[in-house]
Amino acid sequence: MGGDSRYEIAQDAYVKLILHALKHKASAVNGVLLGRVFSQNDVVEITDSVPLFHSHIGLLPPLEISLLLIEEHYAAKGINIVGYFHANERYDDYELGGAAKNIGDHIYRYFPQAVVLLLDNKKLEALPKSRDRSPVMQLYTRDASKNWKPAGSDGSSQLNIREPSANVVLLDYISTEKWKDVVDFDDHLDDISKDWLNPELFK
Amino acid sequence: MVSKTEETQLSNLENQVDNGGGGAWEFLCLVRKLKVRRSEKVLKHGLSILRDPKNRSSLGPDEWTLYEQVAIAAMDCQCLNVAKDCIKVLHKKFPESKRVGRLEALLLEANGSWEEAEKAYSSLLEDNPLDQAIHKRRVAMARAQGNMSAAIEFLNKYLETFMADHDAWRELAEIYVSLQMYKQAAFCYEELILSQPMVPQYHLAYADVLYTLGGLENLQTAKKYYASTIDLTGGKNTRALFGICLCSSAIGQLSKGRNKDDKESPELQSLAATALEREYKQIAPDKLSLLSTALKSLKVSA
Repeated sequence: MGGDSRYEIAQDAYVKLILHALKHKASAVNGVLLGRVFSQNDVVEITDSVPLFHSHIGLLPPLEISLLLIEEHYAAKGINIVGYFHANERYDDYELGGAAKNIGDHIYRYFPQAVVLLLDNKKLEALPKSRDRSPVMQLYTRDASKNWKPAGSDGSSQLNIREPSANVVLLDYISTEKWKDVVDFDDHLDDISKDWLNPELFK
Repeated sequence: MVSKTEETQLSNLENQVDNGGGGAWEFLCLVRKLKVRRSEKVLKHGLSILRDPKNRSSLGPDEWTLYEQVAIAAMDCQCLNVAKDCIKVLHKKFPESKRVGRLEALLLEANGSWEEAEKAYSSLLEDNPLDQAIHKRRVAMARAQGNMSAAIEFLNKYLETFMADHDAWRELAEIYVSLQMYKQAAFCYEELILSQPMVPQYHLAYADVLYTLGGLENLQTAKKYYASTIDLTGGKNTRALFGICLCSSAIGQLSKGRNKDDKESPELQSLAATALEREYKQIAPDKLSLLSTALKSLKVSA
């Protein structure tokens, strides 16, 4: 599994995760990726994302509750959990930590083409100048020896953003400090009136 | 740690100042009092006071506290020139001050000059080996450089002397959790609960860690601490209510096939579930059916 899979992420799903990371600059954050497989060309489409936590990542109870509720909500639409997003606490930390790997493993058990996306801080910072269209995330897939390996530049396992101008939109949102409006599961558990679906975020 | 009322008070003040309704000084004082991290706002509003000579002089001796507060906020926002200027002013006013010396070392940290900062802190410690703030900066520096084992070592050593420092125990617990060292994290929360048994957040965190550790005994203890959290918060803690349900479900799974002595009474779980449904019905009704289905899937066949 893994190998030459292609992954496509929708703009909203992509931007939401990065805004979440920017909202909580001083801590690690994570999120869950939702989508489905297109059997015709074996592309995994990441159609949505839910930002999860910005504190105590690695504690099970909030994670279990969130996955339960999220799965339930999206199953009704024929969409399931296809991956995991993680942003490390430190700017220069490019390692996929234990907690991230464990959560990735758990998702892999239910979806063998699962991916883990790790935020690339340097790429994100360089975006205004680089005008790069590729996602500012590193893609990881599980290899035969059950390790999460970063997708190489050799073209195997690629991640594309569905809308080519997503990074432009992202930069625009950053300049208007849109991250303030992002709600994650931590926020919801602290105040259930806050909606982790973020229905109004991109309206 | 900030209570919900304090958080609301802070947000209200923040909005008021942001929208030009005044109260900047009150906001800055509250931020200092609650020890929260609102560096962008502190920088913005603090600077606007400092740049106006009339406002500045009306502060009296508090002017210097504001310079310090703004300097630190500036460093957090990577506006190092602003920080430098503030520190210069303070240095001029208090030339021999250790407190200013600490700020100067902090500026070295902000620049990423770790070795020089370390030297500065060491020399400050020579004159005052019991300076808690400096000890903590060393932990922070280790953490910032990703040297978690050093951070843990420093923190443990610090806590041998300053064992009543709750913030330090909490920081250590957080570091342990981030490294998935749950047993060690549990120990920290035990210390916190021992010294401050009426603080619900510690009960909740302890329960979360125990649940993560797993195993029947830990789950049963976790359930007790979720219950005590509910007790201490008058039933208003959503996380604890969910925790009860999770524990009951997990305990049920582990107890399958065991004799009836180990079976838990289902009352606590159904009480928690009812409380959750009531809460959601009132505050987040569009999520109620999701909740009900999730709770159903957690109920182990009795």
